[in-house]
Amino acid sequence: MPGTHVVDDIELIIEDIGGGGGNKPPAGDDDGGGGDGDPHKRRKPAPTSPRRYHTAVVLAMLSIVMFFMALAVTFLVRKMGGDWVPVRLPFMVWVNTIVLLASSGTLELARRKQAAADLKGFRRLWEVTTALGILFLIGQIVAWRELVAKGFYVSTNPASSFFYIFTAAHGVHLMGGVGALLYVLFRNFTNKPLTQSVAAEVTSHYWHFMDGLWLFLLALLYLGK
Amino acid sequence: MNFRTKWDVLGAALDGTVASRVPNGPRKTSMPDYDNGGDTKAPHPGLRRLISRRLIFRTDHKAIGLRYLWLALFSVFLGMIMSLVMRIHLVWPGVHFPFPSGLDSSPDRYAALTLLHGSLMVLMVLTAAPQAGFGNYLLPIQIGARDMAFPTLNLLAFWVTVASLVGVTTAFFLAPQAGLTLWIASVALFCAAALANALNFSVTTIDLRAKGMTLPRLPISVWAWFINAILSLLIFSILLAACVYLLADRILGTHIFSVPALLSSAAFNSPAVALPGLWQRLFWFFAQAQVYVAILPCFGITTHLIATFSRKPVWAQRAVVLALCAVGLFGFCIWGQHTFASGLNPYSPLVFGLLASSLGLPASILLMSWFGTLWNGKVQLTTAMLFALGFVSLFLAGGLSGLFLARNDLTSTAVSDDFITGHFHLVMGVAATFAMLGALFFWFPKMFGRSLDERLGKIHFWITFVGVYCVFMPMHWLGLISHLHLSPEVMRTVATAATSAIRSLVTTATLVTIAAQGIFLVNFVRSLLKRSEAVEKNPWRATTLEWTLPSPPPIGNFVGAAPVVYRSAYEFGAIANRTEDFASQSLKPDTESPTEPGGGGPSLQPLPPQAGL
Repeated sequence: MPGTHVVDDIELIIEDIGGGGGNKPPAGDDDGGGGDGDPHKRRKPAPTSPRRYHTAVVLAMLSIVMFFMALAVTFLVRKMGGDWVPVRLPFMVWVNTIVLLASSGTLELARRKQAAADLKGFRRLWEVTTALGILFLIGQIVAWRELVAKGFYVSTNPASSFFYIFTAAHGVHLMGGVGALLYVLFRNFTNKPLTQSVAAEVTSHYWHFMDGLWLFLLALLYLGK
Repeated sequence: MNFRTKWDVLGAALDGTVASRVPNGPRKTSMPDYDNGGDTKAPHPGLRRLISRRLIFRTDHKAIGLRYLWLALFSVFLGMIMSLVMRIHLVWPGVHFPFPSGLDSSPDRYAALTLLHGSLMVLMVLTAAPQAGFGNYLLPIQIGARDMAFPTLNLLAFWVTVASLVGVTTAFFLAPQAGLTLWIASVALFCAAALANALNFSVTTIDLRAKGMTLPRLPISVWAWFINAILSLLIFSILLAACVYLLADRILGTHIFSVPALLSSAAFNSPAVALPGLWQRLFWFFAQAQVYVAILPCFGITTHLIATFSRKPVWAQRAVVLALCAVGLFGFCIWGQHTFASGLNPYSPLVFGLLASSLGLPASILLMSWFGTLWNGKVQLTTAMLFALGFVSLFLAGGLSGLFLARNDLTSTAVSDDFITGHFHLVMGVAATFAMLGALFFWFPKMFGRSLDERLGKIHFWITFVGVYCVFMPMHWLGLISHLHLSPEVMRTVATAATSAIRSLVTTATLVTIAAQGIFLVNFVRSLLKRSEAVEKNPWRATTLEWTLPSPPPIGNFVGAAPVVYRSAYEFGAIANRTEDFASQSLKPDTESPTEPGGGGPSLQPLPPQAGL
């Protein structure tokens, strides 16, 4: 590996330029997202600007909104097809909603602990959040089985098709969220460009967004059935 | 750059770098070392290592950009062969080709040819090359960054695009229904990759700009890639959703886009008829915006080339940026132009026609800017400039026919499908291709350290330019003839004779033009393979940051400290303290030579206002 000090200096300057151009001062004590301004700490590889992860998650959410808008619009138009048979939502769906809302709550509590530097509390609550998230996904599968037991498969009628497709699409995106939760839990963040607090913050944005999205889909399916 | 072994040639073609990587150059600590640690004297690895290290896992944005360009080159030739087969079949139906005739030659096959031609060209060429290809290569350098925001995501998106290409082409060889399902799945994959790319581009432009690279100082090419990325983020999701539904219909047996037959005993009133319109609306909401995704980077590249080769700043630069945004915005709003026949509200042509015609406004601003930049400029007619001017000509021609198509009342009574084909081929097919060729001739020295032959390039340009006009202009005539209000006897004899004559002209011109692309291929391959000449860093005397780097740029782009930007993107003309007629963006305002980036604090003196008109 070429000279470490050379690399450190360059990493420093990378940090200088991170965060979007303009007239930032050359000193490297700008955002470090979790790194402190202690000049002695600069000898470690400085974290890359965390702004890119925030920007990325915001833009990703925008894109996902467009995706689900297209799904929703198709649902609304298809309802006018003249062969619409309303399908009653399985009861499990409401249980799952409570579970998901609870996971958002524990997520916020976890982040409060992290801000208060209570890492043990943070980890515990984060694990609870992850468990609740996985529980939600399992619950969705249970809801599917409930529907199948009543004889509504994906191709039975349009209403059931949309139920399965909406929950599947949301579930796939939520699995990505669970992956992010696990990443925050199990990744070794020492000496890495991304700090745990930034990762946790970005994941929380995404998770709350998934929560809100689920509520929207539920409202659509329930009120529109 | 010297080619010591044949693997050097392959390596250069793949990522433009051979022995030019800088020892002890900067690299992120977390990036695995794929380059022998920058040791240029190490014995060259064999084929296996070359493949894994340099072919599959290179996350360097330049390597990935070049791979996209290769993908696009392959696809464009494949697509051209498809179009040639279609044209020959139109005029000489009896001709048997050994290969396609072996496949079951039926109307399904012909339709599959059209689908393949269209998807290859629009997706793999027009979305891959200007945005993913040139954008990936040049965007980070032009904003002063070392790489894209998410290099691994970049790599992943490329390989998903390759998988998509494989799927799309394989679909042609399968039975019609299975092939169509594979095609839809491949397009869905392409959407996912395009979304990842768009995310990467947007985050990079927003967050990774170098110090001093404020938004007004961004080159127009970067603006175009950025606006394009935001637009792509929004629309590819929609196509993805539509493909998901369509795949559900085909694989899971749902009835999203159709009403099951057994329920059609119910009154078949208009809502049920509107269902095919459902797919149309979803598809066209994406597709109409997609054509602007295809052309926006070409606008940026053309503006960039015209300014550089007129030795003048971009005329009305801020208006140009706003015009680019407007094109993106309006492009969102005119999907209805394609769905008039499927039972829209009778007032909808008014709305969509108005919005579509409004596109003329940003297009005119762009045209005025190009002409304004050329006016009184010291125009240098290099091959790249010729292609840029060719773009202006073709875009103008194709755009004028677009004015007719924006008005539904004109379109439905006056023209037929051939007119539309002529229109979109002129703008998407040829104008965009000219922009890409111009970009290639312009940036080839930077990418490969040698230049393309100018004379061959100019011959190729002129033949292609005349050829494409001969191919696509007559299609407009065909469209107009078919709607002439003549008596039936006259229609049957005169119009048919005229039509077949025009068709033969088009096919002959197609043959000649495609053959002329051989000149380009010869030029391209010869230039890649010749012994390296020492091309100077900045042969075109351009201002943007990539021209301050060696050719090709090393991994990490900027050796040593990151660049600092002091000037706007198009400082041409008389500049204080300078003998040259241009000033590089990283040139400090009061020194003679380009600064080593990362010098002392920014001493930003107010620069003289751009010498505009």
